[in-house]
Amino acid sequence: MLKVNNVEVKYAGVILILRGVSFEVPDGSIIALLGSNGAGKTTTLKAISGLLRTELGEVTAGTIEYDERRIDQQDSEEVAKRGIIQVMEGRKVLGHLTVEENLILGGYILKKTNVKKDLDMVYDYFPKLKTLRNATSGYLSGGEQQMLVMGRAMMAHPKIMLLDEPSLGLAPLLVDEIYEIVARLNAEEKTSVIVVEQNARAALAISEYSYVMENGRVVLDGPSSKLANNEDIKEFYLGLSKLGEKRSYREVKHYKRRKRWL
Amino acid sequence: MEFFGKIVISGLVNGAIYGLVAIGFVLIYKASSVLNFSQGYMLLLGAYIFWVFKASLKLDLLFSLLITIPLGFLMGILIERLTLRPLIGQPLVSIITVTIFLSLVIEGLVSIIWGTYPLQQMSPFFRGSLRVGKINLTSGTLFAFGLALGAMFALIFLFRYTRLGLAMRGVAEGHQIMQSMGISVKRILTICWGIAGVAATLGGILLGSTLGFQLGLSYIGLLAIPAAFIGGLDSPEGAIVGGLLIGLIESIASGYFGKASGVPTSYVILIVVMLFRPYGLFGLRGIERI
Repeated sequence: MLKVNNVEVKYAGVILILRGVSFEVPDGSIIALLGSNGAGKTTTLKAISGLLRTELGEVTAGTIEYDERRIDQQDSEEVAKRGIIQVMEGRKVLGHLTVEENLILGGYILKKTNVKKDLDMVYDYFPKLKTLRNATSGYLSGGEQQMLVMGRAMMAHPKIMLLDEPSLGLAPLLVDEIYEIVARLNAEEKTSVIVVEQNARAALAISEYSYVMENGRVVLDGPSSKLANNEDIKEFYLGLSKLGEKRSYREVKHYKRRKRWL
Repeated sequence: MEFFGKIVISGLVNGAIYGLVAIGFVLIYKASSVLNFSQGYMLLLGAYIFWVFKASLKLDLLFSLLITIPLGFLMGILIERLTLRPLIGQPLVSIITVTIFLSLVIEGLVSIIWGTYPLQQMSPFFRGSLRVGKINLTSGTLFAFGLALGAMFALIFLFRYTRLGLAMRGVAEGHQIMQSMGISVKRILTICWGIAGVAATLGGILLGSTLGFQLGLSYIGLLAIPAAFIGGLDSPEGAIVGGLLIGLIESIASGYFGKASGVPTSYVILIVVMLFRPYGLFGLRGIERI
């Protein structure tokens, strides 16, 4: 169980990004963090994984606990060794290395591991990567690179995978494929997943529980199926307003719906 | 013909040494984008440390090498720890400036401890020679060439085919990505500096035993930098080719146009190569996706 408790994050000591974020991730679950640009979703993931500390950020209040032990003041290496691996946004492959070299580095922190078996496991999830194993990863297509970075994280056998915007810039069909794999990973390897998304529809469909963030706070949370029917979520994140009803221009709203959670 | 053969051989031997030192330079640049201008002075210090064990304490060759090489590793680590680790995250210009002035500090340190005069001559390698046609090869030359070449290929092997080498190449691609996988970038960088220290030390020992142990070694050791640039700053294989090339050019120029022309000619060639191939001969090009 991962517990994020009232976490506050500052960059460079003055810029307040997170203003008290709390949520928890039970073992083996998929949690979604939703929100628009600048809401603090990525920062939340970086606070958990410790990558914050590589870029002048710092958890200044609150705690992050994994299995009853605090990880909020640990470096990313130690957090990763405890089984929490972040897949960063923007398909960060090691460009000049081949696909297989990328994957091998993903399992670098495991001392006793059968690299060949782990590679086969990843190739089983992503058959495409097997055919590309000797290709230079910088030249792969966007979808292939997204598969590669996820496969690379799987090489470390994470207990919790932090997925940052896996659908960014991908074709809808590919988005479905990626999310099917996330669901399978969760079901078969019992990996918990925290997924950060702007594509709310995809994230709500796959997750059990969701948190909506805005301005560095969690403003709304609930079971994903319930949130998908919330009027505010529909209006602001799914772009629907009373879908299915006959529209009349007489009823076109001249005002913007106000969010009910503020 | 005999003269030409002699020149080529001495050029190749020196070139192999430049190549070895250049690999250390390249490793550091590749892993951390830092141009380590103190590489030539690390070479000087390493050579003098060897001299202490071999000439002052009169230990035998193998034993002195066995002590000096780990000390070279330690020298690299110490330099990284004391001067560069505190600068992580600071602009590259300030780090590179530190390495430039660090060279002067090392040189000063060496002259305080050992004085500014050349140290007592010694030829640490076995005596004897080999005749190939009309050219006489001393065993010292052969030994220097063999050791430099062997060390270079060992480093290339490490870099290309081992887990540690893979991690080094990974660090070269991006520090935060490696940290997101839980790999300690600091540790890998420390090892890179250690290896650069060993390469410089070995290069210093070999150069010193042919040219004498003197402060001028650092100036000659700096030729490793054009070697690295010509080969391509991020290619260890390129460093070997660049080293041999620089060695040949220097030797031919100083053989035919007078001793003073050797080093400047090398830099002229460097500038010409940079003008036409800014990546160097074997450098990686940035991957741009459109």
